[in-house]
Amino acid sequence: MTQQRKALWESDLDEDLHDVDLNLAIGSYGQNGLYDDAQPRIDEATLIAVQQQVAQQAALAQVPDPVKRFIVHFHQAVLDNNLPEITVAYESGWNRLTEKFYAKTEWPEAEIIAPLVNDDQIFLILYRELYYRHVYSRLQPDIDDRFHSYENSCELFNYLLNSDGPVPLELPEQWLWDIIDEFIYQFQNFCVWRSKVKSKTEEELILLADASQIWSSYSVLNVLYSLIQKSKINEYIIAQQEGKSQEEIADIVGEYGPKPLYRMLGYFSIIGLLRVHSLLGDFTLALKVMENVELNQKSPFTRVTACHVTTYYYVGFCYIMLRRYPDAIRTFVSILNFILRMRQYHTRSYQYDQINKTADRMYALFAICNALSPSRVDDNISSTVKERYGEQFAKMSRGEEGIPAFEELFLYACPKFMSANPPPYEDPDLLQAYIDDPPVEPAQRHLALFLADVRAQAPVPTLRSFLKLYTSLDAKKLSNFLDADEEEMVQQLMVMKQASRSISRVEHEKGFLRGQMISTSDLDFVIDENMVNIAESTVGRRYAGWFIRNTEHAQRVYDTLHNSPLPIPPKPATQAKTDTQAPAAPPKTGQKVAWGSVKTAA
Amino acid sequence: MLTASAWATPPTRTELIESLVSGVDRYNPSNVGILEDYLYHQIRSEEYDCLANLAILKLYQFNPDLYNPDVVINILIKALTALPFPDFNLCISLLDERPPNANPDEPDPLPTLLPILSSLHNLLQSCRFPAFWTLYRSDKAESLRDNYTVECVGFEDAVRNVVVHAVKAAFQRIGGERLGSYLNLSGDDLTAYVAKLGWSVNDATGVVTVPPNPDNQIESTVVQENIQLPQLVKVIAHAQVATVQV
Repeated sequence: MTQQRKALWESDLDEDLHDVDLNLAIGSYGQNGLYDDAQPRIDEATLIAVQQQVAQQAALAQVPDPVKRFIVHFHQAVLDNNLPEITVAYESGWNRLTEKFYAKTEWPEAEIIAPLVNDDQIFLILYRELYYRHVYSRLQPDIDDRFHSYENSCELFNYLLNSDGPVPLELPEQWLWDIIDEFIYQFQNFCVWRSKVKSKTEEELILLADASQIWSSYSVLNVLYSLIQKSKINEYIIAQQEGKSQEEIADIVGEYGPKPLYRMLGYFSIIGLLRVHSLLGDFTLALKVMENVELNQKSPFTRVTACHVTTYYYVGFCYIMLRRYPDAIRTFVSILNFILRMRQYHTRSYQYDQINKTADRMYALFAICNALSPSRVDDNISSTVKERYGEQFAKMSRGEEGIPAFEELFLYACPKFMSANPPPYEDPDLLQAYIDDPPVEPAQRHLALFLADVRAQAPVPTLRSFLKLYTSLDAKKLSNFLDADEEEMVQQLMVMKQASRSISRVEHEKGFLRGQMISTSDLDFVIDENMVNIAESTVGRRYAGWFIRNTEHAQRVYDTLHNSPLPIPPKPATQAKTDTQAPAAPPKTGQKVAWGSVKTAA
Repeated sequence: MLTASAWATPPTRTELIESLVSGVDRYNPSNVGILEDYLYHQIRSEEYDCLANLAILKLYQFNPDLYNPDVVINILIKALTALPFPDFNLCISLLDERPPNANPDEPDPLPTLLPILSSLHNLLQSCRFPAFWTLYRSDKAESLRDNYTVECVGFEDAVRNVVVHAVKAAFQRIGGERLGSYLNLSGDDLTAYVAKLGWSVNDATGVVTVPPNPDNQIESTVVQENIQLPQLVKVIAHAQVATVQV
């Protein structure tokens, strides 16, 4: 039916269709599908079918042959559920052809390539997923792209969630992660774009006034929660932690849970929720939805590196907003070390850049945490931080004067916050009021709250530097040194005390919101009426770590030497011969001669 | 509060509330009444449940029509006395910018009270307790006191708990006058309050002794490194493999 309608409309156009937005055309045509009688319609339909074929062939003819071959091959791989082939097409084929043919333009519209894939609707949805992702990452999406990418996502999730039972589709884990990741990215991107009222055209204003449901927070959460529930991923994780047998787990996770596609989408949706809640400023709920997940690097869910890195970034950031700096530090150290170790394997991955960028933001966040909660930390990480953010770190460690440095790093490294609600596009008066007096941007609001906390503990670094010099000191004397009012100074000491205590997760405690009060500082003090007594904990020299690291290093050197091929005998032998035959050889080669002759002897 | 589990799941939380806080039903706008009733229960009975209150703010965030300024103010008052924990800011984080007030007959009290609440929070957070009480008792805060905190049972004692938390950690002994200025108490009231805490007073000097607790006992230590076998496993295992190869 839709084929016929499309055709009817196209009969009015000339045949050169390849630059027409078919998506739009179908959309606007669908509203006046009235017919007078059946007879001329059939005749016309036959005629149009031919014309459409011609038009499509014209458009298809514009598509380069390697792209056509790729699409046919890609489609076949998806039909066969052939994961290795899909992975190759997805991870290298698509990107290679993008570089070659579509670096600055869109891929062909799904409707144009439809004949190549026998009009396979499922494949076309997947194709559009890639098509729009390319538009978002390489080009500037217009309002139609934004609306249509939302509709396509809905179709995809509708197919996955509301088909008759689990769908027989298999996709590589990386792609499944990218689907969820891109879904949230487009949502976030839309919300930020939507909040900028001034730059909208008349047409965009009209469309937005009528589109409150497009990319709404509820619809996005609905998708993520549905995937979590359908896959029973939380039940699966709990059953695994309880050490249940495969059969028991199969019983628990039901019809969808055992399918890798649903299980992975379920897990990625939990991480998706962590991200969405963080973007909306609900840091408690963000960590609460993670409560069953255990972060360790042995879990099968860590196979998708991008997901792994994202998870730690948002968990760490939420801990900062919960003012649990030791937990944030631990989270960042763990993932940054992981990234350092992974680096050698990932240089060729197309995600390498993205991971590196996130890592750099985490170094910045780490610097913030370490300035607010100084502690002895991992050598690898702190040396990189000194290298990249040494200047800011020095400023942040000096209290009030470091506020601009906190601001700079926070804005650089924080998530791209967004508002949950659109500006009042449906009401012109309210919209004008919104333009005249625009609300504070979400990132600025969160920054202000964070800086208020930073300011509250601004006196701490100065106090700390003084207390470090004494074992006991009268409060009056200290306030004279600081040129401060004694009572105010004593109150600041209480702030310092509180800043040196934090809730922190005790090892193996389940749930990210759990934790116990711990002391985070090596410098402690107590006030006895008006006498400040100070105690400092020091750490003895650490030899063992150094020896272990260097032993391991020596082993690697040894292994490399041991495993490298022996030099090929004939060559040095010839050289040795020539050298002995020519006694006038320069002394430089003397060493080679000696070595070569040993070899010949052996 | 020494553990975060009591904060994440207060023992006073009912099953119904737990199901709203932890389940998908938290997004259902028709449940906002249950959560608001629970907030007023907290106000009356000196209970506190941060996550349940955040769930109300979440519903307001997604459904601006539900927004009720009185509820928001009460949530912020409860969160204020959760210091030194960051509940107050966690709540503020969820307050998206409100659209301009559509109904001039019912002015929204939040825009005028929010700066005062934020200042109070800031003073309390900076342990500037005497300044907190001065602002709280001032004319500026009159409408906050008369319309809101008066309904919140035990509000002033909840503030004093924040003070006690800070004093307990930083002091072994503290002058009676200083403590009184922190607690906004003097004379017999102060004596009675200190006695209720189980702290002792030297009658001659008025100096109050704070009982020992993990935070006001300090000790210089030298942390020595402690190598566990697992750290050496790689080295040992490798040495063995190397030996076999040879």
